[in-house]
Amino acid sequence: MRNARWRRLPLPLLLIAAFALGGCGDQRILERIGFIQSTSYDLMPNGELKIAVAIPRLEAESNEKREVLSTTAPTSKQARIKMSRETSLQLVSGQLRVTLLGRSFAEAGIGNQLDTQIRDPAISPLMKIAVVNGDAEQLLNQRYSQHPRTDRYIERILEKEAGTHAIPKATLHQFVRDYYDDGIDPVAPMIRKAGKNIVIDGIALFRDDRFVYRLPPQDAMIFAFMRSRFKQGEIGINLQHQGAPREAVMVTSLVSQRSVKVSGSGPGTTVTVRVALDGTVLEYVGGLKLGKPKDLRKLERKIEAYVSGQAEAMMKNMQRAGADGIGIGAYVRNSMSYADWKRTNWRELYSQIDVRCKVKMTIKNVGKMK
Amino acid sequence: MDHRQQQLSHILRQFDDCADFTHKAFPELHADLLYFDHMVDSQKLYREVTAPILSASESELQNALDRLSGARMEADRDIVVAILSGSVALIYREQAYVIDMYNPKGRSISQSESETTITGPHDAFSEPVGDTLSLIRRRIKSSHLKCVRMKVGEISKTDVFLLYVADIVNMHYVDELSRRIRGIEIDAVHDTNMLVQLIDDRPSSIFPQFFTTERPDAIASKLAAGRVVGIMDGSPSAFSAPTSFFEFFTSSDDYYQRWSLGTATRALRFFSFAVTILFTCFYVSVTTFHYEMIPQNLLLTLSESRSRVPFPPVYEALLMELVIELLREAGARLPTKIGQTIGIVGGIVIGQAAVQAGFTSNILIIVVASSAISSFVMPSYIMSASIRLIRFGLIILAGIWGNLGITVGVAYLIIHLCHLTSLGSSYMTPVAPHKPGDWADVFIRAPFKLLKTRPSQAKSPNPARMKMKK
Amino acid sequence: MVAVKEKLAPFHILVLIYMTQTGVVILSLGQMLAQTFGINGWLALPFYGVIVTANLLLIGLVYRMGRGKSIFDIMERRLPLLLLSPLYLLLTMVWSMLACLVSMEYVLIFQMIAFPTTNPVWFKIVIDLLAYSLFIKGIYTISKASTVFFYLTVWMYLFSSMLFHEYSWNRLTPFFFQEGDFALPGMSGIYAAFLGYELVMLLFGYVDRSAKLMKLAIWANLLVFVSYIYVSMLVFGFFGFGELREMQYPLIDMFAYVKFPFIERIENLLYGLLLFTMLATMAMYYWSANEASGRLFPKLKPSYRGIALIAGTFFVGLIPDTLAEVNEWLTWFGIVEIGIAFGLPLFLIALLLIRKEKEAPVHA
Repeated sequence: MRNARWRRLPLPLLLIAAFALGGCGDQRILERIGFIQSTSYDLMPNGELKIAVAIPRLEAESNEKREVLSTTAPTSKQARIKMSRETSLQLVSGQLRVTLLGRSFAEAGIGNQLDTQIRDPAISPLMKIAVVNGDAEQLLNQRYSQHPRTDRYIERILEKEAGTHAIPKATLHQFVRDYYDDGIDPVAPMIRKAGKNIVIDGIALFRDDRFVYRLPPQDAMIFAFMRSRFKQGEIGINLQHQGAPREAVMVTSLVSQRSVKVSGSGPGTTVTVRVALDGTVLEYVGGLKLGKPKDLRKLERKIEAYVSGQAEAMMKNMQRAGADGIGIGAYVRNSMSYADWKRTNWRELYSQIDVRCKVKMTIKNVGKMK
Repeated sequence: MDHRQQQLSHILRQFDDCADFTHKAFPELHADLLYFDHMVDSQKLYREVTAPILSASESELQNALDRLSGARMEADRDIVVAILSGSVALIYREQAYVIDMYNPKGRSISQSESETTITGPHDAFSEPVGDTLSLIRRRIKSSHLKCVRMKVGEISKTDVFLLYVADIVNMHYVDELSRRIRGIEIDAVHDTNMLVQLIDDRPSSIFPQFFTTERPDAIASKLAAGRVVGIMDGSPSAFSAPTSFFEFFTSSDDYYQRWSLGTATRALRFFSFAVTILFTCFYVSVTTFHYEMIPQNLLLTLSESRSRVPFPPVYEALLMELVIELLREAGARLPTKIGQTIGIVGGIVIGQAAVQAGFTSNILIIVVASSAISSFVMPSYIMSASIRLIRFGLIILAGIWGNLGITVGVAYLIIHLCHLTSLGSSYMTPVAPHKPGDWADVFIRAPFKLLKTRPSQAKSPNPARMKMKK
Repeated sequence: MVAVKEKLAPFHILVLIYMTQTGVVILSLGQMLAQTFGINGWLALPFYGVIVTANLLLIGLVYRMGRGKSIFDIMERRLPLLLLSPLYLLLTMVWSMLACLVSMEYVLIFQMIAFPTTNPVWFKIVIDLLAYSLFIKGIYTISKASTVFFYLTVWMYLFSSMLFHEYSWNRLTPFFFQEGDFALPGMSGIYAAFLGYELVMLLFGYVDRSAKLMKLAIWANLLVFVSYIYVSMLVFGFFGFGELREMQYPLIDMFAYVKFPFIERIENLLYGLLLFTMLATMAMYYWSANEASGRLFPKLKPSYRGIALIAGTFFVGLIPDTLAEVNEWLTWFGIVEIGIAFGLPLFLIALLLIRKEKEAPVHA
């Protein structure tokens, strides 16, 4: 080969160029970084942000499992600079798992904060968002003696509950996606401090980037039926009417299908949400005999009536609050032409439309006993 | 001085100061025997030469000599060369006979140390080329198995044989190979693995461009596949050509197991290749740059084990890799029994103590150990050594640029591999050039009924290897 | 060594063209479509597919009329080199600058994500050297390496199946092409995502005429088209139009959503592997530039010319130093390249109409 010398040029040069870079400043060596696992945002009365971050401590010598830093500053990145003065570790957000939004902060609108988080390529779109009913910094800073790894505790609670659809999943991606979509509003789970533990406290419904309405935990399952189809869930229903004997049922292994139909137009728009539920009854207290098919049908009808009643009541509340957390808007939008949709003031229309819920319950089995 | 005396003294002068040279004179018969005692079969010598000569009368002697299986030679040089290659020279009056009695005392045929298999033949080549040839001939009993003899080395004059099966092999490869071997100008060649480096397409490459093995069954299969095989006297390994990168991932016992097991084993080898070159450098890259890729469950364990280590991950990894290489090299040099001790000392004492002393993280020990073990899964020792060396380069690149460094390294490797040729045919066959027909015998080991053709790389004029229906 | 002159096999041509066409643009394709064509902008891709196919048919006409001869031979047999040299210079410049800018863009994206403070010049140098070591080895090695790169990257599409559960047809909406700005830079930018196919003109001399070069090029383009439409449909349904318009590199965010028990944030692998497709694109453009420059300076060794090209474009490439500037440059060079993709075959057809090419004996 005539010019073999030039052909082999790249290899040594490659190595030289690589070595020249040996001490570059973008290294993130594992033990020298403090990876923020959770962060919280609260709005101070003076308009500043109160920000806290929790990072795990790994020294074998100390009993501390975590380090929580908190500070107040006008923006989150400024707060980051302030906080990093207090710690020996380099603060990074690539392992950020949960962002807790204090109620005060969420009510004021979180748009800027979202923008910061989504702009940062280090932050995972899988990061969970939760609203704290109360002060988020306090919840994060609290020492929970039963849960020394608090950050993981919070994340696991959210993950597990979302797995059974007791709360909606709210990752950064989902939140931002719904925020930008004109046919749906973002939702997030709500948690609060309860003594030594943290407890799920319903669902936070947003209107654009503003927290407007808290859905109580007992409505959470109904909300899940209305929001999307899913495969795993359970619901306890109290069928007792006033004065009647006790009657309650627990349906597990729920499989829920949902379809949405839009009819009419303008203020006369009617949206029908059909929900088909499949499930197993493992607990029933009341007068019906589950072994009898007739009684079983009766129970199904009762559950259907209960769910659709609750759903319609819940929808009324949501419409009043102006939060379209289940995405009715997308269906209404998709039933219109583009020009009509642009002409429509969806916010206004949303409070006027009639949302119906039709439920079809099928009890697949009643456990091992007749 | 007559011609005979002159010739004799000339030859003897050549072997001045050769204490191992034997000269037996029979003055009454005007005969002289010249040979190296340790190179010839002494029983055969007595039976076929000494006894007939001694028992023959002067008049019968000429007849007895003519009956000898040797050849008559004139030139002194030829006689010297013949004696050096284990013949007995008999000089009788004016004539010189050369009888091949070559029978060096080599070790007997034994199992291969470097390429052991569980199923399949256990014999391996040994150093004398006669044994090697016989092991091959015993497996391919065909007159189509041709054998070309060449001498390599100005001083060593080593015998090199090129073997091929006529009608199956592409003669272009045979010609090219013999041209290259004849072109070697060197004082001595000591092993096949050295020989092949003298005839490489690209000697500067880190990758072996000839497939070398000690297993006769492997060589027989290469011959049957239409490849050219070379063997060398004094070396227990044979080489086959042309070869491809992927051939080094195959082993002959893939074919002796059920096809599904053979396939799984091959998959394991490709996996182990990836683990060998990528696992440690990925550790370095992730712990140095891409901490966000670590799942949460692993994160705490990983950073906990890293927290006491005083060096950056790249030095830590290089150090441990170096220790592993030291252990391997020490183990290879020492007798088996001491080698085991080294393994225990290295594995338990150093590994355990290094972690306890906070010298390395225990995750790294796992990573380094599994990538070292993976490297030994490679059937070819030479390839496995090349890959282990490449790993160091990738670790350094990962320490500098993280994932980008790894990809740059891998990209360079691929560019290099794609440019590489073996006897002028692409090293990356059957991926590039794309020959999906070969894949059944490269990436998987399909049932035999699907392996109907010879590898395309052999460019065999007779590609069908099986005509069996069903 | 008897070098057997190997011809490009059909599969390699297919993969080579595919790999030349796909590149870093795929990261931002969804955003560009949303920005330019608005809601359901991905539906504009078939139009692009058709235009590219038309262009390929035009090139096919040159291939047929020129009887598979190299385009340089066709031109030089009809026009004096002196007249052609400005054209060659233009081709050399545009092609090598495109190669340079493509890598510059890659480097800057990578820098933004993983190495915010490292000087990108270092990455650029190393990637240039890598490209040099590839393209200098000639088209045959480029095609083989592209094939391996193809296998190493194509499985990334499998990961996208893990995103289906976040996909919603609802988000696509039944509206078409509203709210797009239909701006020229955006449109040509999307077309630039398909560029690379025009280099098939330079493969004329390197393939067997039996290989059906143009058919393969059209298939390769179809493959690119399918992969683009798949990816952009995915991002439209994954993010929704509103968000997509605001993003820069939707694909990166999308892959960041993939998570395995043993590894997270797959986007870190994605942009690592994108180096492979980018390298193939870059090598092809540099190689083409080197072919063109070879006609200008036939006496110079290819490796010297290659070094000159790399070095020259390297320093020019240093001028734009932000991602936005590089994108702007890329847009302009992309427009020139689109001109070349259509203009050069037309020019060649004109030349061939003036004087027909005689069927020459097939010769390697």
